[in-house]
Amino acid sequence: MPKCTIDGREAEFTPGQNLIEVAKKVGIEIPYFCYHPGLSVVAQCRMCAVQVEKMGKLQTACSTPATEGMVVHTRSEIAKQNQRSIMEFLLINHPLDCPICDKSGECDLQDNSYKFGDSNSRYTEERRTYLDLDMGPVIKKNMNRCIHCTRCIRFGEEVANIHEMVAVRRGNNTEITTIDGRPLETDYAGNYSDICPTGSLTLKDFRFKRRAWYLKKTNTVCEGCSRGCNMEIHQDANRVHRCLPRVNMDVNQYWLCDEGRFNFHYLHSAERVVEPAIKGKNDDLSMTDWDSALDAAKAALVGARKLTVLVGSDLTNEEILLLQSFIPQHLSGAEIVHFGTAGVATVADDAAADKLLKRRSKTANLHGIEQLGLKPFRGISDGTDAVLVVRGGRAELPELPSVKLVGVGVFEKSEARNFSVVLPGTAFAEKDGTIVNFQGKEQKLRRAVIPAGKSKALSEILMMWMNRKSS
Amino acid sequence: MASKILSQKFYAEMEKLIPRYPTRVALLLPALHQAQEETGWLPPEVLEEIGAYIGIHPAQVREVASFYTMYNLTPVGKYHVKICTNVACCLRGANELVEQVERKLNIQCGETTRDRKFTLMEEECLGACGTAPAMMLNDDYYENLDSKKLDQILESLE
Ligand code: SF4
Ligand code: SF4
Ligand code: FES
Ligand code: FES
Repeated sequence: MPKCTIDGREAEFTPGQNLIEVAKKVGIEIPYFCYHPGLSVVAQCRMCAVQVEKMGKLQTACSTPATEGMVVHTRSEIAKQNQRSIMEFLLINHPLDCPICDKSGECDLQDNSYKFGDSNSRYTEERRTYLDLDMGPVIKKNMNRCIHCTRCIRFGEEVANIHEMVAVRRGNNTEITTIDGRPLETDYAGNYSDICPTGSLTLKDFRFKRRAWYLKKTNTVCEGCSRGCNMEIHQDANRVHRCLPRVNMDVNQYWLCDEGRFNFHYLHSAERVVEPAIKGKNDDLSMTDWDSALDAAKAALVGARKLTVLVGSDLTNEEILLLQSFIPQHLSGAEIVHFGTAGVATVADDAAADKLLKRRSKTANLHGIEQLGLKPFRGISDGTDAVLVVRGGRAELPELPSVKLVGVGVFEKSEARNFSVVLPGTAFAEKDGTIVNFQGKEQKLRRAVIPAGKSKALSEILMMWMNRKSS
Repeated sequence: MASKILSQKFYAEMEKLIPRYPTRVALLLPALHQAQEETGWLPPEVLEEIGAYIGIHPAQVREVASFYTMYNLTPVGKYHVKICTNVACCLRGANELVEQVERKLNIQCGETTRDRKFTLMEEECLGACGTAPAMMLNDDYYENLDSKKLDQILESLE
């Protein structure tokens, strides 16, 4: 491997790698704004300029590939002077409103100012201000904070494939905007907020919910479709506040779709059944204790002449395996099939749903459940007099006959309206487990929050079932 | 799409220009010029129509049209006065000329008189630094201006 020297440290690199990436590998931070590894390089902000021996002027590290024997100084007097000047320049029009800015604590502008800028400003003149038009339901715009790095524009054009975010006018008056406050059209809009290095583009869904430094992070995988984008769940006090993408070049690169990003809301929905429930006198669900609900479930299922078990392809491999050994022993004779997305019965029906990430299967483990040998649901067979539905929170319920219905897992009250019994289970953020994405990759779901209300893990529910002596 | 605002002639002109450019997007600048010639300024519906014709998002049309000052995104008067206030012209009294017009027409820079006759704007370098101060009146240049000359020009306009 060829080598270069950065701040006296020897650094190996693969040809074509730029100085920012090479420096990162040996633990040296070159500050930058307009560069993003998932976007084209425009060398626009000048923050990353470094001194390269034998080259007259400072070179922008984002657009300079390392070469054999190159000697680079990122903290020499002249490099530092540039960093200070660029910071001063970028902050001339900045409102310095970190105390009320949602990006605070995870803001490149704030961090770089702290690390590489001056603590004083010499600027006393009037600041440029903008009137902010709306940008639709996902993104809140605050252009006074913008540093015109154009990352958002490039994301739209190069990744989301829509040139809807633009820079109008020019020079000091440049403004990043959509046309006259039109809503963003892409269904990947959340990424605009992730890549913005300032608080100009924040998530409406998340802003003012929690300061970044209070959030606890769990590495997990999105359950929104069969891609299984890698993501982080950010929670505080067992409440999920947002999901952010984790880089995985093979699966989702740097991105998440909006559907996956905001999918978590059902966890905390007031409509979710989080206590054991049985059908009451007035034909609606009423909450009860676990023992009574288990007895009711057994009564409904054990005596059935023909039982069908619908297993959601939103469950983990571990849960599916448990059911595969439990059902033949305790509900023998039952037919076990899987369900998940209308129109996507098997892996053969699962295809790309757009040009970027989304897949047609809206459950994350269709591929896993098929590998484990379950057959797809093709309709209720004649004579069925009881149905057991086991699912996470995502699998789409098919139309169910009016027979005895028992649900185990995550249901909304309206979905379970006709159920005799609901035993509340855990959703993707409340459990550990393995899912298999459309590429055949096994990935791990990680528990980020404790199960809501009285919900219990499937393993625990089945254990209670086995240990409960029917009265 | 709603009924077209731009004429047959516009589209015929564009079809003639297509072979001259390496890409279709490169047609954007001439299209904006041609459209402005027809409609006097570029209302949002015209920008949409051009976007649809070229096959780009209307926001992208807006981006380009707002970058160049010669495209009018708001209606302008019959006479569009553009006075250069860049360095050479500024040193030769351009700012005073701007003020003079503001007083005379009773409008601020960037505004249009109520009778829709005049619009006044500051312009960046017109490339006439050698004969500063300079201004453009619609498509014509006026150079070596002074206060008297400017008055005469404005008064000669119908
Ligand atoms: S809004 Fe954010 S990402 Fe877009 S140009 Fe401004 S600072 Fe950069
Ligand atoms: S593409 Fe699929 S896996 Fe990725 S974020 Fe969207 S729903 Fe989740
Ligand atoms: S990151 Fe290199 S110039 Fe902006
Ligand atoms: S500065 Fe006015 S024409 Fe150049």
